Amino acid sequence: MEHRTDPWLLLAVVGILSASLATLQAVAQVVGPRLFTRQLIWGAAGVVLLWLLSRVHVTVYERLAPVFYAGAVLALVAVLVVGEARGGTRGWFAIGPVTVQPSEFARLATAFIVAAWLGKGRQRRLSARDTLIVTGLVLLPTALVLLEPDLGVALTYLPLLAAALWLGGLPARAWVAIALLGVLATLGAWNMVLKPYQKDRVLTVLDPERDPYGAGYQVRQSKIAVGSGSLLGQGLGRGSQSALRFLPAQHTDFIFAAWAEATGFVGSTLLLLAYAVLLVRTAIAALAADTRHGLILVGLIGAWLAFQVVVNLGMVVGWLPTTGITLPLFSYGGSSLLTTCAALGVVQSVWRYRLVNQ
Amino acid sequence: MDLREDLAPLKRRGAALTLIVLAALGLLHARLAMLQIIEGGRWRTLAENNRVRRVPVEAARGRIYDRRGAVLAENVPTWQLLLFPDEVEDVERTLLFLARTGVGDISTLRERLNAPRWGPLAPIVIGEDLGWELVARLRAHQSDHPELSVLAGFRRFYPFGRLTAHAVGYLRLPTVAELEAGRSLLPTSLVGAIGVEEQRQATLAGTDGERWVVSSAIGQQLGVVRELPSQPGRDLTLTLDIQLQAAAAEALGDASGAVVVLDPRTGAVRALYSAPSFDANRFVGRLSFADWAALRDDPQRPLQDRCTQGVYPPGSTIKPFMAMAGLSEGVIGPGWGVNCSGSVVLFGHPFRCWQRGGHGSVGLERSLEVSCDVFYYLLGQRLGIDAIASWLNRFGFGRATGIGIGSEASGLVGTPEWSRRVRHQPWYPGTTVSVSIGQGPVDATALQLARAYAALANGGRLVRPHLVADSDADRSEDLHLDPDSLNRVVRGLTAAVHGSEGTAHRLASLPMAGKTGTAQVVALQEGVTVEEMDTRFRHHAWFVGWAPLDQPRWVVAVLVEHGGGGAGVAAPVAGKIVAAALAGEAEDTHVDAAAPVESEHGTPN
Repeated sequence: MEHRTDPWLLLAVVGILSASLATLQAVAQVVGPRLFTRQLIWGAAGVVLLWLLSRVHVTVYERLAPVFYAGAVLALVAVLVVGEARGGTRGWFAIGPVTVQPSEFARLATAFIVAAWLGKGRQRRLSARDTLIVTGLVLLPTALVLLEPDLGVALTYLPLLAAALWLGGLPARAWVAIALLGVLATLGAWNMVLKPYQKDRVLTVLDPERDPYGAGYQVRQSKIAVGSGSLLGQGLGRGSQSALRFLPAQHTDFIFAAWAEATGFVGSTLLLLAYAVLLVRTAIAALAADTRHGLILVGLIGAWLAFQVVVNLGMVVGWLPTTGITLPLFSYGGSSLLTTCAALGVVQSVWRYRLVNQ
Repeated sequence: MDLREDLAPLKRRGAALTLIVLAALGLLHARLAMLQIIEGGRWRTLAENNRVRRVPVEAARGRIYDRRGAVLAENVPTWQLLLFPDEVEDVERTLLFLARTGVGDISTLRERLNAPRWGPLAPIVIGEDLGWELVARLRAHQSDHPELSVLAGFRRFYPFGRLTAHAVGYLRLPTVAELEAGRSLLPTSLVGAIGVEEQRQATLAGTDGERWVVSSAIGQQLGVVRELPSQPGRDLTLTLDIQLQAAAAEALGDASGAVVVLDPRTGAVRALYSAPSFDANRFVGRLSFADWAALRDDPQRPLQDRCTQGVYPPGSTIKPFMAMAGLSEGVIGPGWGVNCSGSVVLFGHPFRCWQRGGHGSVGLERSLEVSCDVFYYLLGQRLGIDAIASWLNRFGFGRATGIGIGSEASGLVGTPEWSRRVRHQPWYPGTTVSVSIGQGPVDATALQLARAYAALANGGRLVRPHLVADSDADRSEDLHLDPDSLNRVVRGLTAAVHGSEGTAHRLASLPMAGKTGTAQVVALQEGVTVEEMDTRFRHHAWFVGWAPLDQPRWVVAVLVEHGGGGAGVAAPVAGKIVAAALAGEAEDTHVDAAAPVESEHGTPN
């Protein structure tokens, strides 16, 4: 027996996509009119994909998980060899007129394999062996993405790992160990991995006025854009920050700032509400799941989407350093949009094929 | 059931996760409320105070030096006034302010404002080379006109502006086509218009940079967001000798004409002066259209480079090449001569020698010394036009020399084929006779004649004239001239200066050889002397020669437009230039001697 697709979730998706299109249209003068058209096509394709994947039985994702995962890892290796570079990152396949970013799709495949692995388990606590395997399954694609190098996308793999360990039931003392490791890793990264410009971004969060025209420029401009939206906003296409190009990456990482400038507190509240609906309905789908696999799969997807939303908005309002994490369904970009829609389609598959009266 | 028991702890953890996420969203919402509602006014003020400007950073253009290091082109610091079109609130008010402060008149400024632009943030150069007083006045009103900004920049300066205008050139704004060609040009960039400035634009120009600055509502610069430094252009050293250039200008005086001095050994251009000249410093700006139009419409055509673009009948200066052709083709033997009675009738037409009374018995050397026309009429008849044209082409007539500045004229060597194709007329045998003394359908530039004489002076190599010392200079062609024939022609040209009957005998005090020439503008009428003619119809005067006699180091070609006779007008000019060259060389002999001789020190292996 099938259930109906969740209308609330669909409403949230369509609402966010519409807001994204309205914002792209408003900044078309700066970023070019083609982005709107492309995003419109991707958005339509995404909704169709969502609908299609919601009609595939959830067990298919469980059985085919190894195939997807192997394909994803191969694609991530291949893109390092034959991929196209953009701004120093070799992360795209050029296929005719479109470019495909495998690191986006590979995230969903990683969610599949982790959910499939943990779905088989029966014990209440995560064993050391499972912990290691799950960690390895997530870190392999993460490492490949870091080689591109694309820090922003690589970071979005971490919520998969965190959620898997959390849902799988890692003992409390293990979390303490992870926290300690995290501190050490942060210190190590600070001294050895992070480039000076990345350190500047972190320092800027701690002290926003540190370098207002250098490292702090983006965040400062973003805050000016958000803040000058006030209660009702300056109107779509009339925001002086976005129109005069002060706002960097206003169609991707900082698109929320352009929206907030144009529509004010009212608009940003509506958008935040839409994301809340999206995430809550995903959580409800997870809690309604009838299998371990379904619950974990939806839980992973929900964690990843929530991570992206919170980190992106945190960056836009100046709380978190700029890392290149996009806002799902809102930032311009076909691969990210299609992957998000596909993931929500999978969520709906779990929702639709759950047992009645469980 | 087993399954349900299994899922309970998972669901608890999932619910906890959801609560954490919702809490984060709640915090973000509070932050948005803080930014947008409580602090909204403050951020809006900041937005209004927050202008990002894209300011081009002009690259310093390479300097140009003469062969001794004298500066021919340099950059001097200057003040420019930039206008940021995006920030103009009231165009009329801005224009009025600019006109009142004395930056320019409203119509010019308006035209400037409407010129094609380079992206929305790019400023327009609305005033340049501003004086201190003007800068002070503009700065006093800075807060009323944040859209204006006074900026330091460069102005090209030519210390010898009049002397080097054609050779070194000047600057101009790029054309729309050049801007669209996608080279890294801005509408406010200046590019070389003519001369070396144009030829070596890529070397001299460097790469402009840009700076993104944040400025306040009253135009104060708050900070630099991004800076792309400019790359200065490379300096150039020319072969030109500014002392010779000055000597050429002085020797020509008020006359219109051209002076070319080449080093016959290499083709290095030592002087290239076209008169009347103009001051290249008048063109260094972006706003001097009126000056340019005035020069363009000047009936004296000062913009034309008479050295490389002016074509004139070579007159008697063509005779050495006729002589070489005759000897080499074997149409005249070593002892061949004519008896000049002052005229000769050929093909039913009388052809007169310039010496009414005739020259009597004339051999090859004497034909050059006295410039006997009858000798060359008969020689030309024997050679025929095809052999003449072929030999003139060998000496570089009828094609550009490849000096590479401006649009060089190729001159003309008329042939029957050319006559049919271009003039749609048959070739008359008499035309061949005229061509033999450099009249009729044969034209040359001063530069072509200088190069052709250089081939006589250097033993038969056709050099490529060049102005820049780094050019691959030794691109000369060997003409394979017969040394004996060449010697006889050289003797004739030496006799033209040092012989008792020589047409350029007045230069006999100098170690020179050369040939005078007088090119008819209109046919001479019976009973009218040159001096009685209107200037416009007077002959062009030529002298082309070299110095010193032993291992010549300078070939000098002088053309004086409508000057009259070559002997009386052009030869003295050449004499003065050669005298200056010899004096200048005496001056820097010790410099040359002191220069280290480059040798290769191979490492022993």
